[in-house]
Parts: sequence; structure tokens; C-alpha cells
Amino acid sequence: MNAAPHPSFKIKATTYQRQNRALALAASGVGFAALFTLYLPIVLLFVLSFSSDPLSGRVPSLSLEWYEALWVSDVFKVRDPLLLSLGLGLLNAALCATSALLVGRVLPRMKRNAPLIFMFLLPLLVPGILLGAGVFTYYRVLIGVKMGLWSLLLAHFMWAFPFALLCMLIVASRFDARLLEAAADLGASRWQRFRDVELPLLKPGIFAGGFFAFLLSFNELSRSIFMRSGELTLPLYLWVQSGGRSATIPIIYAMSTIVALVSIVLVFIAVRMMFPKER
Amino acid sequence: MAVQPGLLKRLFRDRDVGAVYAFAVLWFCVVVLPLLCIIGFSFLQSRGLRVVFEPTLKAYYTLFVEAGAPVVARTIQVCVTVTLIELLLAFPFALWLAKVTKNRPLRLTVFLLMLVPFFLSPAARVYVWRSILATEGVINSTLVSMGLIDQPVQWLLFSEFAVHFGLIGQYFPNMVWPLFLSISLIDDEYLEASQDLGASRFQTFWNVILPLSLPGVVAGFVFTFIPMLGDTVVPVILGGNNVLMLSSLVTSYISSLNYTAAAAMATFVLFALVALQGMFVLALRPLGGIRQAFASLGR
Repeated sequence: MNAAPHPSFKIKATTYQRQNRALALAASGVGFAALFTLYLPIVLLFVLSFSSDPLSGRVPSLSLEWYEALWVSDVFKVRDPLLLSLGLGLLNAALCATSALLVGRVLPRMKRNAPLIFMFLLPLLVPGILLGAGVFTYYRVLIGVKMGLWSLLLAHFMWAFPFALLCMLIVASRFDARLLEAAADLGASRWQRFRDVELPLLKPGIFAGGFFAFLLSFNELSRSIFMRSGELTLPLYLWVQSGGRSATIPIIYAMSTIVALVSIVLVFIAVRMMFPKER
Repeated sequence: MAVQPGLLKRLFRDRDVGAVYAFAVLWFCVVVLPLLCIIGFSFLQSRGLRVVFEPTLKAYYTLFVEAGAPVVARTIQVCVTVTLIELLLAFPFALWLAKVTKNRPLRLTVFLLMLVPFFLSPAARVYVWRSILATEGVINSTLVSMGLIDQPVQWLLFSEFAVHFGLIGQYFPNMVWPLFLSISLIDDEYLEASQDLGASRFQTFWNVILPLSLPGVVAGFVFTFIPMLGDTVVPVILGGNNVLMLSSLVTSYISSLNYTAAAAMATFVLFALVALQGMFVLALRPLGGIRQAFASLGR
């Protein structure tokens, strides 16, 4: 940023630099402290899930019993919610990735796209519980249809589509339209241009959008609370279980640890796809 | 991009644009319309699942005058306090991240650290705080065994303190992201010029950095404050029955079939949101508007 200072300014410069360093240390220290409070529970979740007595303050012994109980227990029937969440997540990912591709590849080239983009991103700006309650009231009370799997999927789609679209827009705005021009000049048909030029270049956005949509759907809680009839997704199930002060808490820790680890890996993959290492 | 407009038009002919508009119409009917209808609905009354089409302000009366008022007031007070604390914590950090550190791997690590929690289910990890803050929890038992206190401290859990504390950690990334974006948009040359003209660090901060990062401050406020208003997990798990907040109120309105009160609450928050959005757009204007801010993202 600055050229090296003249030797005669050396003392003054070092004092200034030292002060700079102290300020930078303070600023980053505060930030890392905040990140620490964000990650401490996640790490503790991981540690506690291996503890034989996670709810007491005592020093526990290591055990895998909660992980075992997860699959064996008759009390903690996690299989159905897990399968439902996986299915919903995958379906939602496919829907979001497809619609984001449909919209995102054209949107950057449209004139006056700001109102459209705003409309598509609107659900990001509404608190989850109100979105859930509002849309529930509209469909259940005003129109009078029954909630069910369709509304659960709709709630997840509303929540995840803006993110998938954002991923798509980031990639699509880097897309050079002249490539399509060149392909057309070389005699490629409409479908060939899409399949051989656009699709490969937009692939990172499609997959990243799909990954994010899956994760957001898989972990979605506050919108699902109202937009269901009897279905239990995994987050809802964990939420209900942690509400009752039951003996299932340690199993929740174990389940959440697995979900968190898988989520972290998926986020890494998605980010690597969207922002490949610059060479 | 130097593309002939005629050819471009031919390449992205009506079919593609048509598909976008078709999807937009569908999206409007399924997603946006319900949100708009809620506003109208809040001025009606419902008996069970039947709606009485007669304009009334009863829902707002319930919300602001009857049981709702203290909860709304508390929610706003807690969320404003936490957002301001976030701003104080996040601004130096964002400044450091955007302008000070030159360590690329460290920066990328911080980005990832701030991205990951967004995709993790909050219920279990907030619950963990209970075993730390409870009367028999880690903090209290440590303090008691060290002899620093005789009785376990009660206000650590199921208190306003616990809710503030839980929210601060949860929403920190929401505040850092927009601040980081707006600060990294500030041209380094402005900072150098300010320094060369003899401004002190504080003067540079006050007269150059702060005004130019104002859009980020407003965006950070919106992205932190709005989702926090509707937080489902922290107030319930860490506040218990002592700190009822908006989400519990909405849930109880819905489960007691008082849909219009829930709608009135949604309307109130939506209007607060629109006002904040307006502030956001106005604050961006000196920097060339939202489009400019988005364009610089790709750089």
C-alpha cells in the first residue's frame, strides 16, 4: 500500500505500525471471540455426544452408546423423520436447481430485471416464522386447503429458491455471452448451444444452488412449524424432542453431530464449486 | 460486453424470457400473493377457519393493547440492543477483514467459518448452552467449586441475559457480511489520501470510512434485525417462559386459532421491513445505487 518510509522517519513509522498492529489485534480478537461463541456449542455438541452422561456437569467417560441407541432405540424413532427430510431435501434441491437455471441464465441479460430479482429474493427478507404463519393462514384459512407434504415442500422451496438463484446469478453474470454468439456462428443449434456451451459453464452454479437448497431444506425449522399437517421432518422432530425434558437429549446431540458434520462437508463442496481456486 | 444487440436478441429470443415471466407469475401467485393478502387479512376477523369479511382493527387492538403489547415491546427492545452490540463487535472485525489482513488463507477460513453455521440446525447447538448456563451447569459448578460464589448464579439461564447472549453469537455473521462488502468497496486511495493529508486514524475513520460504509451498516442492520425478530429457537430454549418473544406469540395465536392477530403481527413486521429497506436504498444512493454494489461483487 505505502512505499517504504524514508530512514529518518523510521522511529515514528514503527510506533505508528505498532499502534496499527495493536488495533488490528484488538479488532480481530473481538471478531474471533464472537466466532468462538458461535462454534463452542458446535464443538461441545460433538464432544457431549460421546459422553456417557452429557447432561451433568461432572467429568464424563467416553461412550458410543448414544450413537448405538440412535439406530436401535424404540423410543427414539428417528428413521421416518430422517427419510422424510432426505427426500424433501433432494426433491427441493432438484426443483430449486432447475428453476434457478431456468430463471438465472436469462435474468442477467434482461433489461429492468431489478423488480423481478427483488420479487424472487423477497422470502429472504421476511422472518421465517412470519413467512410460515402468513402463508399458512393464506392457504388454510383464506383458501381452505389442507396442509400436507405439498405445503411443506412449498415452504422449503420458497426459502431455498432465492439462495439457489443467487448462486446461479453469481455464476451467470460471469458468463460471456459472446461464447453463444460464436457457437451460433459455427452453426450450433439452439439446443446444442445450451447443452455444449451454457450448461458446462453454468454447472458450478447449478450444483452449488442444489447443494445449498438441500442443506437449507434439510435443516429448515421455523417455516415448517405451520406448513405441515402431521409430517415430522428431522429438525421438527429434534425440536419437539428437545422441548420435552426427556432422556432423549443425548441422542439428539448424537444425531445433530452427524447432521452437522455432513452439512459442513457439503458446504465446503458447494463453496469450492462456486469459487474454484484461481490459477 | 461488446455484443451486437440484434444478435443477442435473436439468441435469447422470446422463449427464454417467456419462461422467466411464466415462472415469475407462478412465483407471484404462490409466494408473493399470500404475503400481500396477509396485510389485508389482518384487518378482518376470523371465527375458527371461517373469515368474516368486515373491516376491523380488532387484531391490532389484540396485538398492541392487549396481551401482545409487552411481548412486542420486549422483542423490539431485545433485537435493537443485540443488533447495536453486533454492530460494535462486527465493524472493527469487518474493517480488519477487508482492509488490514493480507493473509489470504486466514481470510478464506474466516469466510467459511461465517458461512457454515447458516446451514446448521440451531435447535441442538442452542440447547448445548443450557448445560453450560444452567444452575447445575458448567459455569456455576466451576465457580462454586472454586469458592468464588456460595450459591449458583440464577440469571445465567432463562433470563434476558441468556437470550441476548444466545442471539449475539447466532447473528454475528449476518452483520459482518454486509459490513465487509461495503468496506471492501472503499477505494484504498481514499484512505491513503486521508492519511497523507495528515488526518489521524480516528479522523480517517470518522470522515472517510464510516460515511462510505453506511450502506453496509444499514444492510447489516436489516439482515441482523429482521431474522432476529422472528427467531424461533433462542428465546424459547434460553429464555424459557420468562422471556416470551414474537415467535412464541405468533405460535400461540395460530394454535388458539386467532389468525388475524398473527396476520396483524406479520403486517407490522412487514411494514417495519419496508421502512428499513427504504432506508437501505436511500443510503446506497450516494454510492451509485444497488446495481453498483452488486456489480462490484463480481469483481
